[in-house]
Amino acid sequence: MLPLFQIGSTGQGSIGETAVFQRKVGEIVFAYTVRRLLMLIPVLIGMSIITFSIVHAIPGDPARAILGDKATPEAVEKIRTHLGLDQPLYIQYFEYVKGLLQGDLGESLITQRPIAEEIGPYLAGTMELALLAMGIAIFFGMNLGILSAWRHNSAVDYTAMVIALIGVSMPVFWLGLMEQWVFAQELGWLPSNGRIDPRLGFEPITHFYLLDSLIKGDFYAFNDAFNHMILPAVALGTIPMAIIARMTRSSMLEVMRSDYVRTARAKGVSEFLVIYKHTLKNAFIPILTVFGLQMGLLLGGAVLTETIFSWPGVGQYLVDAINNRDYPVIQSGILIIATLFVLINLIVDLLYAAVDPRIQYGKE
Amino acid sequence: MAETLLELSRFKMHFHTDKGVVKAVDGVDITVDEGEIVGLVGESGCGKSVTSLSVMGLVPQPPGKVEGGSIKLSGRDLTRLKRKEWQRVRGNEVAMIFQEPMTSLNPVFTLGNQMVEAIRQHKEINKKEARQLARETLQEVGISRDGILDEYPHQLSGGMRQRVMIAMAMVCRPKLLIADEPTTALDVTIQAQILDLMRRLNRETNTAILMITHDLGVVAEMCDRIIVMYAGQVVEETDARRLFRNPQHPYTIGLLKSIPQLDRRLERLYSIPGNVPNPRQMPSGCRFVPRCEHALDICREKEPPLFSLEDGHTSRCWLNAEEKEEADRDTTGNTAPSS
Repeated sequence: MLPLFQIGSTGQGSIGETAVFQRKVGEIVFAYTVRRLLMLIPVLIGMSIITFSIVHAIPGDPARAILGDKATPEAVEKIRTHLGLDQPLYIQYFEYVKGLLQGDLGESLITQRPIAEEIGPYLAGTMELALLAMGIAIFFGMNLGILSAWRHNSAVDYTAMVIALIGVSMPVFWLGLMEQWVFAQELGWLPSNGRIDPRLGFEPITHFYLLDSLIKGDFYAFNDAFNHMILPAVALGTIPMAIIARMTRSSMLEVMRSDYVRTARAKGVSEFLVIYKHTLKNAFIPILTVFGLQMGLLLGGAVLTETIFSWPGVGQYLVDAINNRDYPVIQSGILIIATLFVLINLIVDLLYAAVDPRIQYGKE
Repeated sequence: MAETLLELSRFKMHFHTDKGVVKAVDGVDITVDEGEIVGLVGESGCGKSVTSLSVMGLVPQPPGKVEGGSIKLSGRDLTRLKRKEWQRVRGNEVAMIFQEPMTSLNPVFTLGNQMVEAIRQHKEINKKEARQLARETLQEVGISRDGILDEYPHQLSGGMRQRVMIAMAMVCRPKLLIADEPTTALDVTIQAQILDLMRRLNRETNTAILMITHDLGVVAEMCDRIIVMYAGQVVEETDARRLFRNPQHPYTIGLLKSIPQLDRRLERLYSIPGNVPNPRQMPSGCRFVPRCEHALDICREKEPPLFSLEDGHTSRCWLNAEEKEEADRDTTGNTAPSS
């Protein structure tokens, strides 16, 4: 490998050169990011073709879905012509792509509203929930994994891994229902569904309710929105938590055996720092990969969780669209989710380099 | 005479595994005086590394367990220390460098970060002063280029990394430096540089060095005194000159014979027959008996103690007992015919 960090290794480094060099690194990272974003284009073209084909292969007719079962064939035909559904598929596809290139995600067949406008609140709902779920998963998953690696082959280790096993094998809908039954129904501690108490008449700005309530300084709304999030976030975060715990454990175990961890101990470093500084940072790359993948999955919308907790998120939105044969919504919705997925993976790749100085981007 | 710095007496470190107890270190007596360089020699699996890790308190317990004896550093028994107390000893009073410089530094932190951490663990100084001290210590080990503190280990060669390891170990001026095969992974010219460096640091700072190695060449060049270990026990101990001129224990003799000599032409290099005994099933009597050319009946029956010969030379071999008796007769009775 070509040394990227030329300054130090030539032995001629000075402060001025270091600054130049840091700017260079910035440029390289920027170039890499741009290249990765350009690579998004073929991905999106592929995605659009696949979703378009699948969507149109779904049996059923949007015109019928709009008009209902009792509509006359003439009325159905009129709607089909109006929506362009009587055109050959490839023409429909090119019309759709033409719209996309102009930044137009299309309109919902059912509500007649622009999708870009309509999907926003759902996306915000999903993101807010996914972030909290991921936060829970990361915090508990990593600490559980670290604990069981630190006390390898002890009762603590076995207990932690049994918890992880239960977590990964428990069906989300079952966990969600149990949570509702125990914490909402029986104990009455937390609300069982929705994003916020409708009686508050909360007017969202960004549709991230926690953020909005803070902007407004409405702490009562903040508290209420947060309480609404706890149960679905726990249900949603359980499987990622278990996966992260297992990945953390195996990655930590591997690193703990390495020479530099022994060196750290030989320096007199405390056990806490040995684990959380020297071992964890080295064990972090595979854990980070899992973060990215799980976050991507959560952003796709957790249909089951959203259904159980009546959470207005993209999962719900897309399922409704599929039921209504709302072609443009399905296509654009999936395209947006795919884009987010790719972006998250890009962020994860960039973070690799931040975690491990041996990983460098931008070299041809 | 220098004060005794490190004293292991009858020290035993056993490992309790599913398949039985491994007596990795079984009743070892070692002393290191202040400012002295002592070599601990033996083949792989003889317990020399476990001995050194025990002095650092780095043997994982369990499965390891101290089964007896003591490790005294300046009179304080290290085997009784609590975890917090260990943290003040490690890197401060005793420091250690390892065999693999390529993997002994943490790849994801800068050298400055790792050195400053070692310093501030034991000294109450601010970051800037610590960086200055790190820079000075690196200069002492021959690394003086600018910006070194902001570099990562992968940007350095193996020899350079071992220098950094030595600097990191020496930065708090420990009284004892344990070097576990510090040159094994390096090529020969770099080996010589590292050994020179260690000898210079020993002279300048009066830090005692316990050198763990299987390389008798290194020992000959560096050490004042040499301890030979076999199967968890000390089998011979004497000063360097005497060990090479007049080895007593058959194992030591075998080790020395297996070094290639420039002035002797041999078809095949000598090697000690057989293998190191299985640590779970030590042979009865002398542990070296299955491989020994001079084995007597008593060797199979009774474990030999360490016999003291002249000038602090000790050897764990029944042959020495006989020689000693003969020698005693010679001096007291004057009856033996002169040869």
